[in-house]
Amino acid sequence: MKRNAAIIGVGQTPYLSRHNYMIPELSQQAALQALDMACMTMDDIDAVVYSMAPSEFLGVNDPDKWCVDSVGSRNKPFMRIHTGGATGGSAAQAGFFHVASGLYDAVLVVGADKVRECKDSQQVLNTIWDPMYERQFGLNTIVMAALQAVRRIYRYKTTEEQMARVAVRNWKNALNNPVAHLKGNITVDDVMKSPYYCWPIKKYDTCPSSAGGAAIVIASEKKAKKLSTQPAWIKGCSEVANTVFMGDQMGGAAEMDYADWDELAIAAKEAYRQAGITNPLKEIQVADVYAPFTVCELSIVEALGFCRKGESEKLNETNFFDMDGEIAVSPSGGSLCTNAIAVTALARVCDAALQVLGKAKPTMQVKNVRNAVATGIGGSFQFHTLMVLGSDHN
Amino acid sequence: MAGKVAILGVGMSKVDGAKKDTKLDDLIFEVASKALMDASLTRKDMDGVVIAACDEIDGRCISSMLEAAPAGSYLKDEIKVTDDGAYGVILASLRILSGLFDLSLVVSWCKMSESPVSDVMRMRWDPFYHRDLGMNHITSMALMASSYRNKYGITDDIPARVVVKNRKNGVKNEKAHLQTPITLKEVNASPIASWPLRTLDCAPESDGACALVLASEKKAKALGANPIWLTGFGWAIDSYYLGERTLYESTSLKIAAEHAYKMAKIQHPFKEIDVAEISDFSSYHELIAYEGLGLCNPGKAKDLIEKGVTEKDGKLPVNPSGGLLSSNPFTAAGLFRFAEAYMQLAEKAGSHQIPDSQKALVQASTGFCAQGNAVFVLSK
Repeated sequence: MKRNAAIIGVGQTPYLSRHNYMIPELSQQAALQALDMACMTMDDIDAVVYSMAPSEFLGVNDPDKWCVDSVGSRNKPFMRIHTGGATGGSAAQAGFFHVASGLYDAVLVVGADKVRECKDSQQVLNTIWDPMYERQFGLNTIVMAALQAVRRIYRYKTTEEQMARVAVRNWKNALNNPVAHLKGNITVDDVMKSPYYCWPIKKYDTCPSSAGGAAIVIASEKKAKKLSTQPAWIKGCSEVANTVFMGDQMGGAAEMDYADWDELAIAAKEAYRQAGITNPLKEIQVADVYAPFTVCELSIVEALGFCRKGESEKLNETNFFDMDGEIAVSPSGGSLCTNAIAVTALARVCDAALQVLGKAKPTMQVKNVRNAVATGIGGSFQFHTLMVLGSDHN
Repeated sequence: MAGKVAILGVGMSKVDGAKKDTKLDDLIFEVASKALMDASLTRKDMDGVVIAACDEIDGRCISSMLEAAPAGSYLKDEIKVTDDGAYGVILASLRILSGLFDLSLVVSWCKMSESPVSDVMRMRWDPFYHRDLGMNHITSMALMASSYRNKYGITDDIPARVVVKNRKNGVKNEKAHLQTPITLKEVNASPIASWPLRTLDCAPESDGACALVLASEKKAKALGANPIWLTGFGWAIDSYYLGERTLYESTSLKIAAEHAYKMAKIQHPFKEIDVAEISDFSSYHELIAYEGLGLCNPGKAKDLIEKGVTEKDGKLPVNPSGGLLSSNPFTAAGLFRFAEAYMQLAEKAGSHQIPDSQKALVQASTGFCAQGNAVFVLSK
């Protein structure tokens, strides 16, 4: 039988274009913050999960091994999780399984990334594709997002202005997040006038390449109750993988559509089942989502069951997804404002946990959060992770 | 305390020097399908897939993007660990023991032939202190070997006999990469790879893939299966910096073994274990592992070798499959060791079967000089 587990500590370094710290140092800074919040020291940790996505940005293979001492893992169980962009979400789940299995009582999940250590992150991301067919025509993650946007425009008549509103809201929310990389009061006009990277994706539709570290401490029920007045209970988690080929993710015999992210809907169904959530819009107050491009968020909120397919564009023109709306989507500014790939999905878990722990900065804190969800996305929008955190366990 | 995990089936490819005619995705599909067939189950029955692989050797960032589907993950709960293949067993077991998963595939692979392995390994060193030294996996293994040699006064013949033993065992394993026996003289006459390691002291570079089906205790019983049980496992890691470690012994292995033995209630591993499959990336790795696993006292591994205790007909056969010195699908190596141990207990090992084995021991390692170690105890 599953043991209850909760996040009791969260740590994040500021996210910047460039840090003058090495990966072991950034990991340590995040780990120490999380341990501090959990009222623990490194000695109290039983096992460590390291969140590290492609190492090619850094130019150090298996950098997790380099960080063993700096995150206090020497002579302890240690493993590296890597599911592309979804890595942080998968690592958080792996940490949860360490505790839920009954083998360990206190687990540190930590990672760091420096996406701009390389010449061009999109050049690295070109190598996630097939060497024979896809690399040659310059496919990268911006092109991948553009293809999704085109599909969404085709299915739901999405306009570029509607996408722009997602950027405006996230940039505004990020003003309340002390660690966010990009933030500011921008207008739909600013977004519309920004240069195209790949039609219809423009500069402001796109996340930055960030550097920074993130960490969480997951504890068993007994430890969590002893060390935290309000733990963020891990009530449900799930991840779903689809095929890499975008052409096979839609049309024809496909069970899904590239415009919709139905894989995330499958993961949500399972995680909500575990968490006992039947009406997500009513029962969940915060969703901190991995939307590295504006268009992604439109698909995510539908997959999470906050509205029906094709409705998010219109709702996004109201205050529905605002801090004071029906459901606060990415009060942290989300992945659109901060993307240190190896920990981007872990940052979502951190920011969702802060909301349940009640430890977000006052202006970023949503009131009376009973449940919060964090999502992750990786590969060709094919790996989806989801975690439900709550103020009570079931 | 947590329960145990059932092993229902295994799919292992033939290990070769270079599988030029088989694409990696085809190889992965083959072993995942074989494991499911071996367990008399289908992909639909699986509620999770755990992958263990290495991007840099696969030659593409996030290689699981392509390989997740042939590994059986299409619209399944899939997660990837990037360490040795056997870490996939750990993660899948944690997921099963949490009660959220009942049936899981574990899949790992490696095609060393398609990768400049030495460069990949050199790039694993930090760019400030180590990389300029030009160290790779062979030279760092040599530091470990010379440290062990120096500490216990080991001569060339002892490690050479490990090679002779494992290569002799490999002859009988139809899935092994190298299936030719070699003599002590040949090992000692082979060129120095990096002193004191000779080329034959080092595992070859091989291609192969392996998959397992794991189940919860409840599910295995409901299926009426007669499984082999994973009764204990442990894993631990040491410092990255070789100067911080005592290379002639493996602290992380000792800790991993302690955890695994405690969970499996093993008190005297040498007496209680019937067969062992361990990660002999070099002949010295096997010697150091004997001691780390508590099969003998520190410095006494040479006695086990000299007395033939770990020979196939000895009291505790180690690597009856031929080990990594016969076939080394690098990042998948540990999962192969695990699968071989399973085959022994399931009495499916064929011509390299050790009769009447009740308990088996598996060791896998990751990182330079076996920085991280994982230990498993399997039982009938």
